[in-house]
Amino acid sequence: VLAYLVRRLAYGAVTVLGVLLLLFFLFFLYTTPEDMARRALGDKTPPEVIQTWIVNHGYDRPRVWNPADPGRTLIADHFRRMLSFDFGRSDADDSPILDRLREGAIPSLTVTLPLFVAGLAVAISVSLFVAYFRETYIDRAGVVLCVLGMSVSILLYIIGGQFLLGRLLRWFPISGFDPSPVVLARFLAIPWLIGLLSGLGGDVRFYRTVFVEETGRDYVRTARAKGCGDGRIMTRHVLRNAMIPILTRVVVAIPFLFTGSLLLESFFGIPGLGSITVDALHGNDFATLRVMVFIGALLFVLAQIATDFAYTLVDPRVRLE
Amino acid sequence: LNRVLGALVAALLGLGGCGNNPYPGADDAEKVRYKALPGALKTLDPAVSYVTTEHEITANVYETLLGYHYLKRPYELIPALALEVPRPRDLPGGRVAYRFRLRPGALYGEDPAFGHFEPGATTREVVAADVAFSLQRIADPAVTSPVSTTFAKLEGFSEFDEQYASAGGISGVRVLGPHELEIVLAEPYPQILYWFAMPFTAPVPWEAVAFYDGQEGRDFFKDHPVGAGPFRIGYYDRRSRISLERNPNWYGARHPEWKAPAAVYPAEGEPGDAAAGHLDPAYVGRPLPFLDRVEYRIEKEDIPTFNKFLQGYYDAAGIIQESFDAIVSEGALSPAMAALGMKLEKSVEPSIYYLGFNMNDPTLGSPAGERGRLLRQAMSLAVDSVEFSRVFLNGRGVPAQSLLPPGIFGYEAEYRNPFRQPDLARARNLLREAGYPDGVDPKTGRPLRLSFDLGDASSGGRLRALFFANAWKRLGLDVEISATDFNQFQDKVRRGAHQIYIWGWIADYPDPENFLFLLWGPMSGSKSRGPNNANFADPRFDTLFLEMKDRPNDARRLELIREMRAIVEHERPWIELFHRESYALYHAWMRNVKPAGLSLPSAKYADVDPALRKRLREEWNRPVVWPAYAIAGLVVVLVVPGIVTFLRERQ
Repeated sequence: VLAYLVRRLAYGAVTVLGVLLLLFFLFFLYTTPEDMARRALGDKTPPEVIQTWIVNHGYDRPRVWNPADPGRTLIADHFRRMLSFDFGRSDADDSPILDRLREGAIPSLTVTLPLFVAGLAVAISVSLFVAYFRETYIDRAGVVLCVLGMSVSILLYIIGGQFLLGRLLRWFPISGFDPSPVVLARFLAIPWLIGLLSGLGGDVRFYRTVFVEETGRDYVRTARAKGCGDGRIMTRHVLRNAMIPILTRVVVAIPFLFTGSLLLESFFGIPGLGSITVDALHGNDFATLRVMVFIGALLFVLAQIATDFAYTLVDPRVRLE
Repeated sequence: LNRVLGALVAALLGLGGCGNNPYPGADDAEKVRYKALPGALKTLDPAVSYVTTEHEITANVYETLLGYHYLKRPYELIPALALEVPRPRDLPGGRVAYRFRLRPGALYGEDPAFGHFEPGATTREVVAADVAFSLQRIADPAVTSPVSTTFAKLEGFSEFDEQYASAGGISGVRVLGPHELEIVLAEPYPQILYWFAMPFTAPVPWEAVAFYDGQEGRDFFKDHPVGAGPFRIGYYDRRSRISLERNPNWYGARHPEWKAPAAVYPAEGEPGDAAAGHLDPAYVGRPLPFLDRVEYRIEKEDIPTFNKFLQGYYDAAGIIQESFDAIVSEGALSPAMAALGMKLEKSVEPSIYYLGFNMNDPTLGSPAGERGRLLRQAMSLAVDSVEFSRVFLNGRGVPAQSLLPPGIFGYEAEYRNPFRQPDLARARNLLREAGYPDGVDPKTGRPLRLSFDLGDASSGGRLRALFFANAWKRLGLDVEISATDFNQFQDKVRRGAHQIYIWGWIADYPDPENFLFLLWGPMSGSKSRGPNNANFADPRFDTLFLEMKDRPNDARRLELIREMRAIVEHERPWIELFHRESYALYHAWMRNVKPAGLSLPSAKYADVDPALRKRLREEWNRPVVWPAYAIAGLVVVLVVPGIVTFLRERQ
């Protein structure tokens, strides 16, 4: 097991390093330090001030190759900082990035965590329900609705949801955020509903397939022959045996709880990590962007390893070699 | 069943109140104004912030020495913290001095920073040394102020960098007493006074800069402004919500009896202000401010923001492209919107958008002599900026006849530039005269090939450039669009490798100098990296500019401007396109809002009628409950028979 862990961690490290390398080249292929300075200071900033900014922020160093002092390059600094978790300050506004992460994590989690739990519960119950009624009109209606739900863009859900629930029915505020728990749910009602609905179609299709496959297996027939009730078969036997594909889908989704949702946060004015990433993209803020990408990659790799370990917990036959 | 469902819906809607109101607290007892800001704020450091949305906060929190008259156009400077607008005093060697006298007894807003250095203190008086401190901060390279080059005209400003180490000041900034400050300019620059109406030069207490260093849990100064303005920060989360509240320490609030010009509602304005309701006798002469609070929300997306405005949760809004035709019809408010009691206010920004020619270009520029000039004149006649603004801006642009936009001294509404009235026949004649009959270059026998250099690689940018290329195609010219990103474009401009380009300029201050310098020879982009990207150099124009720039707004200045205008008209280094116009919508409960193209602190003049707002909001936002019943009913109707049937079959 230990050897397996080490091997997986090594693969993971290679992946993360690759992501960092790719990010560096993609970013500087697309933009230059002058551009970053102009975004940070404004379009009318005179060239002298732009130069001062570049020097103050260390972007005057050669990017990749510095024969005089090979360690004094942008790329060396990039890896040095990321690998030592020294996130530094934002290029856009000089705030410590760690503070920004701390500020943004709570709003992001208040959106994603309830959405994740409720989404999982609803998707699994609905799919158990349609799997149980397979080949009836309920199942077929479910297929139509799910495919319909999957085909619609999230942007339409957002604008449509705001228009319907906020503007026409006037049930909830169209956008906004307030950390006070008394009113929080009012602001998050539409994003939660939209997140739930937009994800439901795909999830239900996936879980239904898994459940239908499991219900066709011998052990289900045996259980039924022994007089086990339908409800018990579905929740006790089928659900448990379907845990491996469920886990694969669920654990991999966990890192995204922290990175937040780019579109939902932008449209609903939620000051979370997703909107920090969007700001960093718009503002050519390399320092913030790389931290968000780095953390995302790191969590993703860790989640993959965690998934493997979770397999052994739900299925004793699985061994990590 | 109905009652249970009703209770469920009520519980769902009742999560902390009812309906779609995004503001949890009551706001009908207080005067609160609600505004949306389009993105997170980066810095509230007055020496650094150069963005309109940030000035929205800094201009209200920091008090400047001078201000603008709220209503008068052309814009007029009035004293704010200063007792009067200073006059220039000539010194030997062409130097000029201005002496500011500060209002004694003006205090900063309360802040713990003062107590850190003087136990028990919560505020202190604004003194002249604070203004000197602000100017030093602009000079300090570590602060990276974007306006440092402007203040380089102050004597000893550029040397401050080195003096900094030896703790010397700027030699051209002299503190003569607690309330007296003199600045010395190495050369005349009367426009410097406008910079004293902007937050850059607002007095800043050194205590706040020293205390808010981001250490040991303290804020950074850029997130914690401490000023002497009419409002102070009540709540600051730069990514979500900002709240300004009245500053009881503001000199206008503490001393209404002073009747300071920037602390009472003005009694006069420009013609038409009375009719527009800007001179309501209920407000004239009353001490400012009228609002108790200004609440800002960060809204990144236009559509939700506009929908919230329509619900009455924002007091004012711009018009989003998607809804333009539903809101505005034929330049006025559509009947549906007018029925809601809204007002549409149009204002022309002090800006100019133009097509420029690189005057160093051998085909288009001065090296081509008379031929080049005729070619530029012909191309100018082919461009229809009315059509352009109709297609791309929903008509929100005033066709430009010269560099100067309305509201700026020297703008004359009746002036018509003969080369800016589209006339293809005349353009073809001029082209023939230039030696390019039907746009054909006799040297090659093919249409004359020119390059439109575009610093915008987006499809929208290309489309706009295509509009002009097509206009010139009608003359037979072959204009190729060469689109690159902005950096490469700037590099081309620096090297002088550009031919035709599009550019815009928004004034920093309302003076013709801030526009005419865009064509002043020494400001040439390729030679001195100045903003004269057309590299226009006309000796007569340059001489006139030097005389014009330091003059007060008198008849002679107008005469000079007219002559410069005539030179530009004839020489055509530019094809003036339009002055951008902004349309703003205001709800019926807003009072005293007059849009200004410049970002000036308007919060202290505005007022709201909270009772009217409450009534209209309630009328517009009654929740519609029946669909909740309908959805619940539908679920029951769909699912229950299925279950029943299935169970029956299984039996």
